[in-house]
Amino acid sequence: MSIRACLFATTALALVLAGCGGKDVVLPVDVENEAFEDLRSEIREAIDDPARETEAIALVDNLADELRALRDKISARKTRAKELNANYDTSRADFDAFFEQVNSEIRSNQQRVTKNHRALLAITTPEEWSQIAKARSKAMSAAIKSVQTI
Amino acid sequence: MLIALFTILLLGGSSTALLEYIADTRDSVKTVMAKDERQKEALNTLKAMKKRTNARNKHVKRASKDLAKAFVDHDAAVEQTDAVWDGYFAEIGRYNHDMLDLRYELKEHINREEWEAIFSVD
Repeated sequence: MSIRACLFATTALALVLAGCGGKDVVLPVDVENEAFEDLRSEIREAIDDPARETEAIALVDNLADELRALRDKISARKTRAKELNANYDTSRADFDAFFEQVNSEIRSNQQRVTKNHRALLAITTPEEWSQIAKARSKAMSAAIKSVQTI
Repeated sequence: MLIALFTILLLGGSSTALLEYIADTRDSVKTVMAKDERQKEALNTLKAMKKRTNARNKHVKRASKDLAKAFVDHDAAVEQTDAVWDGYFAEIGRYNHDMLDLRYELKEHINREEWEAIFSVD
């Protein structure tokens, strides 16, 4: 390798490493943490009653777990779908079984989220709900966009 | 933001369109396959997949809008969100079925070697 080529390779490697470990890199998990912190703050502001506030924050913690789990599930499902499709000999029955499993996961996810939604409605007044629902957060928008683009 | 969060959690993000990416392989098909009648048929099938996915995306948008509307109202009947979700879930089933039909139709136009070159996961 010539000196010039060696210099170029070293510089390129340094730039790649700087990019990987740079302080500007924001991980999806950090965005999600910030988004849920925004949501907790909004709840603290909207709900004056400490007992209901604690309950609402616990429900939001469940939602944070759900979003994290959804992110992992989407990646795993997409990987599996690509593996099945890549195999020229995959049978329709294999695909059907896979979709059935995914559908069953989505259904149980729907039940948990609906339960959470109803619990939050039950412990908030219409005014409190409206305040929490109307609040905007850049972090939450980014977190949702990030999950949508996996 | 709570509304948007509930909506995405309930609809499952992009994990309900798992074969959508197949329609985006037009360039690979053009590169891997000879420009003949089989390639033309394969491209037509990919076009049909894209069209089906677009229709599904419109359905998702509508469901998201309806869910958000129901979520905003504190006193909305819970059956309202259930009805939206049930309609959405039925569409997922139809979409997966249609996309699988098209996937097997695509396979009729592409041989094993070409398939592996187009869809290799490595």
